Amino acid sequence: MRKDFDQLNYYEMLDITPNAVPYEIRHAYNAALQLYHPGSLVSYSFFSERERREILALIEKAYQTLINDQLRQEYDDELIRRGEIEARDESAPEVKKPVSVFHISRSPYVRTVFVDGDALKNRISQSQVIKDILARNELSGEDLKQIRTELGLTVEQIAEETKIRVNHIRSIEGGQAQQLPPTVFLKGFVKSYLKCLGLESVEELSVRYMNTVSGLK
Amino acid sequence: MAHVWPIGGGKGGSGKSFITSSLGRLSAELGKKTLIIDLDLGAANLHTLAGVPDPEKGFSDFIRKKIPLLEDTVVTTPCANLFLISGAHDNFDIANLPYEQKLKTLRAIAKLDFDRILLDLGAGTSFNTLDFFLISQNGIFITTPEPTSVENVYRLIRSIYFRRIRYCFNVTDFNELEVEAERQFGDGSFNKPDNLMKVIARTNPKKYAQLNNEFSAFRFKLIINQVRKHDNAALGLQMSRMIEKHLGLNLEFLGNVAYDEHVHDAICQQVSFLERYPYTKTASDLHELGKQIVESAGEQLTLRYL
Ligand SMILES: Nc1ncnc2c1ncn2[C@@H]1O[C@H](COP(=O)(O)OP(=O)(O)O)[C@@H](O)[C@H]1O
Ligand SMILES: [Mg+2]
Repeated sequence: MRKDFDQLNYYEMLDITPNAVPYEIRHAYNAALQLYHPGSLVSYSFFSERERREILALIEKAYQTLINDQLRQEYDDELIRRGEIEARDESAPEVKKPVSVFHISRSPYVRTVFVDGDALKNRISQSQVIKDILARNELSGEDLKQIRTELGLTVEQIAEETKIRVNHIRSIEGGQAQQLPPTVFLKGFVKSYLKCLGLESVEELSVRYMNTVSGLK
Repeated sequence: MAHVWPIGGGKGGSGKSFITSSLGRLSAELGKKTLIIDLDLGAANLHTLAGVPDPEKGFSDFIRKKIPLLEDTVVTTPCANLFLISGAHDNFDIANLPYEQKLKTLRAIAKLDFDRILLDLGAGTSFNTLDFFLISQNGIFITTPEPTSVENVYRLIRSIYFRRIRYCFNVTDFNELEVEAERQFGDGSFNKPDNLMKVIARTNPKKYAQLNNEFSAFRFKLIINQVRKHDNAALGLQMSRMIEKHLGLNLEFLGNVAYDEHVHDAICQQVSFLERYPYTKTASDLHELGKQIVESAGEQLTLRYL
């Protein structure tokens, strides 16, 4: 029989698996709030006020428990005792699967595209264009854009991965002094961007970029 | 046997008739002999959208016994392969269709010789509307991203669920069931199909298993219409999640249909939107849905309980 919401375990409440990592837990929590918060169109008229309050309280409890390592450990032990989940086998070997550059998350709520670092490194090592750019003393916004395009990444994917706004990324690639984000942020942004591209020696490359664009000022 | 797709939900103006006529046309163009039936009798306008402004006959002729066979009330439309049973010239509400007439109609629909049959059911939740919904496993709910429309879809889904349970019991037993649900759960629970099911699970495991089987065979669908740029594009998926998680029913999200002013223009000019504005986002959304209607396979009529 289908279980009532209050009979679900915390993982089921948040629609995650028992081996979810904190990032996924946070994400699932936000997705659940989107569904159940009082102003949500999705659950409009679906629950009485009392039912909604109860559900939200449970979701809060689930989140606070799972996001805290110690509480989660205790909760997991409880679930294992109840036979709802299996004890984690820490030594289980990871199954090797062919890597693609993107992993599409199949969660019903969102489609997030993650960038796969290993696959990128592979591509970088095989690209003559990128090697040539990195061999120079300067690194302009145009160069970054070229590397990105060469790797088949879009500005939106970079934005999604780094949480840097799309227009900032465009400005970084544009390299025009007036449009660049304030210098205090810029260096951090550039480093995240470079890291997201899968490049090595990010620190050194970011200095190179900063020197190149400051020459424009 | 034809695949029957009842289409309803939302509220007046959410686009049920527009979508029924569009999907009918697309299905016809993709080679399926397709029939659209206007059962939104109080507010019939499928004929207008299908390009038949003044149909010479229709559903009312069958109901009033002027035409004995339902198949003889079918008229052609300007679109090859697309046929219509019009609801024009009817001034009674489908809610008032007497029980015998309803059974006769349902059986007649099931026997019609078409590849696809789309029923425009209108927005109501009268018993008759619910019964037309229940003749197929593929009922489609249409809503716009507005609270009023979403509310009506949820109400309709619960009513259908409730109606199906109701069929399983005679009056006395059902009353007992309601009383028991209210006693156990309170709070107006006799109205909540999921609570009724909980009582049935305990008091009548056999019926429970049977109903459960039936419900898991339903493949209800959801279309969100008139989606504007800033609307939450994930609404449909999230609604289907809600229904699955909290009612235990399957509700498959079929897709969004974008809002476009040209729909209004096409209707005013009395031309087919798909023909006049084929390169709009709305048209391509409809094409996506049309493919799903055409590609559906398998048995899906559920007339057994009638
Ligand atoms: N996707 C859409 N974009 C813009 N307008 C739409 C769309 N769908 C429907 N409409 C508008 O809504 C009106 C009502 O549609 P209709 O199909 O008659 O609704 P219903 O049958 O649900 O009452 C149409 O006349 C049309 O102007
Ligand atoms: Mg209509």
